[in-house]
Amino acid sequence: MPSRPPVRPPGTRGRSPWRGYVYVLPAFLVYVAFAVLPALHTAYLSLFEWDGVTLGEWVGLGNYLEILQDSVLRRSVFNALVLVVFFSFIPIVLGLAMTGLLARYRRPGMGAYRFLFMLPQVIPLVAVGVTWRWLYGDDGLVNQAFGAVGLDGVTRAWLGDFGAALIAVGLVGTWVLSGLCMMLFLSGVQKVDPNLYEAARIDGAGPVREFVSVTLPHLRGELAVAMTVTTVAALASFDIVYVTTNGGPGEQTTVPGLLVYRLAFSEGKVGLAAALAVVLGLLILAIVYLINRLSRTET
Amino acid sequence: MMKSTRRLRPRIARAACALALTLPLAACDALTPGSAATVEGPRSVPSSTAVPEGDVTLRIQFADAPPMVDALIAAFEKGHPGISVEPQYKTFTDYVQNLKLTMTSDSAPDIAQYAVGMTDLAEDGHILDLAPYREAYGWDESIPPVSLDQLTAGQQSEATGGRALFGVPAGLSMTGIYYNKELAEKAGIDGPPRTLAEFEDQLAAAKDAGLTPLGVGGLDTGGLHLWAALLNQTMPTDDYWDWVNGSKGATVENEAGLTASELVVEWGRKGYYNESANGTAQIDSTAQFAQGDSVFLINGNWAAGQLATTMADNVGFFPMPGEDAGDPTVASGFSVAYAVSSRTEHPEAAGAFLDFLTTPEAGQIISDNGFLPPNPEAVAKPEGVLADVAEGHRKAVGDDGITTFPDFAAPAMLDRLRSGVQKLIADRVEPADYLDSLQDEWEEHHAE
Repeated sequence: MPSRPPVRPPGTRGRSPWRGYVYVLPAFLVYVAFAVLPALHTAYLSLFEWDGVTLGEWVGLGNYLEILQDSVLRRSVFNALVLVVFFSFIPIVLGLAMTGLLARYRRPGMGAYRFLFMLPQVIPLVAVGVTWRWLYGDDGLVNQAFGAVGLDGVTRAWLGDFGAALIAVGLVGTWVLSGLCMMLFLSGVQKVDPNLYEAARIDGAGPVREFVSVTLPHLRGELAVAMTVTTVAALASFDIVYVTTNGGPGEQTTVPGLLVYRLAFSEGKVGLAAALAVVLGLLILAIVYLINRLSRTET
Repeated sequence: MMKSTRRLRPRIARAACALALTLPLAACDALTPGSAATVEGPRSVPSSTAVPEGDVTLRIQFADAPPMVDALIAAFEKGHPGISVEPQYKTFTDYVQNLKLTMTSDSAPDIAQYAVGMTDLAEDGHILDLAPYREAYGWDESIPPVSLDQLTAGQQSEATGGRALFGVPAGLSMTGIYYNKELAEKAGIDGPPRTLAEFEDQLAAAKDAGLTPLGVGGLDTGGLHLWAALLNQTMPTDDYWDWVNGSKGATVENEAGLTASELVVEWGRKGYYNESANGTAQIDSTAQFAQGDSVFLINGNWAAGQLATTMADNVGFFPMPGEDAGDPTVASGFSVAYAVSSRTEHPEAAGAFLDFLTTPEAGQIISDNGFLPPNPEAVAKPEGVLADVAEGHRKAVGDDGITTFPDFAAPAMLDRLRSGVQKLIADRVEPADYLDSLQDEWEEHHAE
């Protein structure tokens, strides 16, 4: 049975519902040209053994096999997963803690706090990396601070120490991303109906109870965003590592992003780099999908 | 209006299909990696020294020492009014990483600074073989042969049948040991060591005096300079050259490689290095040495200018000594050299510029800018630590002992060396396993 034609607002007679796509088309074409095609090209290159100059040689999935077999590449994926703890987990916990402290009370100077915690986000990561390299240096501020409180035994060359380098690099990420998480959570808290806090207080809830029962449940959406952004930052990390340790000492801080860059540009293994980039991209997509699935079922 | 929708939908669908199909198809040919890069082989170089009449513009792309290049260009243009040279400077990292793309593009510069990737480019005919020019201009007389040997990319010349030549040096480099004279005296060290064993004694003496014996900037390249300096003493120079050039059957997995690598480990165990050697960049280790943080420092001549300024008479330099006092002086070094693109339209003008680099006038400019001129006899004698460097270089050149850097053995070798030596310094790898990882990379690259 034919249904009644939909009622259109006056002045739109005769226009098709497809017309909207025309407006999207320019953006879509740009997206295809600069995001989709390069991505497909990368996937295509990953099937070749190519040094970047001479004619490539078709190797099928050979590069992917090599990735699975290469211990340095596997090690780099492990390192990236360790960085997830420092780039994602700890910043989210810290961000929540700061939100709990800053959201409940309105006092003068809060703007200054927010500015301070947000600052690392504003500075280019390369500058962040250079600064931290100095801080972690032999007579850098970190060692000076430990020395000043009598912990001379702890001081070391943080970025050159096989045990400490990855943690040291991770903490730089923690420093950068905690402020971002805090900002996200603070903006989330502002959407919460103040009456809920009032009701909680009347019911005799303390600050912790109030945070757990009122603030936290309202931050699910922001938590999902924070997890997505920070996890991607960890898995795709490049600039901080490149500037501070360049993957060293040994392979202690080598991450996939760094290897993609190195393989493609300095080692002349473009196909292998492309394959690694594809694997890394798929890994990130899978994890982001997982995070979104989890946060959706919870709400 | 329903009708129009129905008519539009297939049309759009058809258009979308066509788009989806044609885009990748049209792009397919161009997407085949390397297909756009094939050239018709190296252009032949005229073996005359004639310089063309009329206005010619040469573009030169480079990464080292902009003031030196500017001065060289100015002096060259004065003598060749018809030729103007346009400098294009890039930072070293950018330069090396984009080199292949730059040199295989249609807009390749006429002249480009020689760097690691040039070997591959030469093999594929993107770089001009300058062997005919070497004969026409007589570069064998004006440039020490050892400096030219580095620029052959391990190939025979198709044009002359002799060794190929893919660049001309302007300013040479060399690694060695700097020492703080004041601190050395404090540790009872009275002068540069004559043998490797004597140097070890001096390191021990420095340690005993409560000083840091040797500064190493192992975060980037300091570690590999140390390892290479030791390898240069333990390994016959010819074997080393074979390995770096990728000659069939060459290897570092031998007694010489083991001895050098074990020394790096042993010195680490004895606490001879600055504590954070692996976390210190080369440039930072130089600054720390200038502040008096260590008695010795491993670095290259490129740091001499900076150290001469900050430490004045308090700093000296010597090449890593050999196992016996009579051993030739051998040190890793390379040149700030320039190659010519096979796409250049002015090979004669480019040749004239390269020839100018070998003149005493250019040599003086090179020397004034802190580099070692290819022909040191032609320039005024430097002073202080610069004189030590020049003297060390003179000996090494005289002994045919300037070997190239070990990372030239394969494009990925730099990373293997850097992380590998970091592990040696931290005593985290067996020397044999370290050498094995280098040799694996070597074999993978030189497989064909």
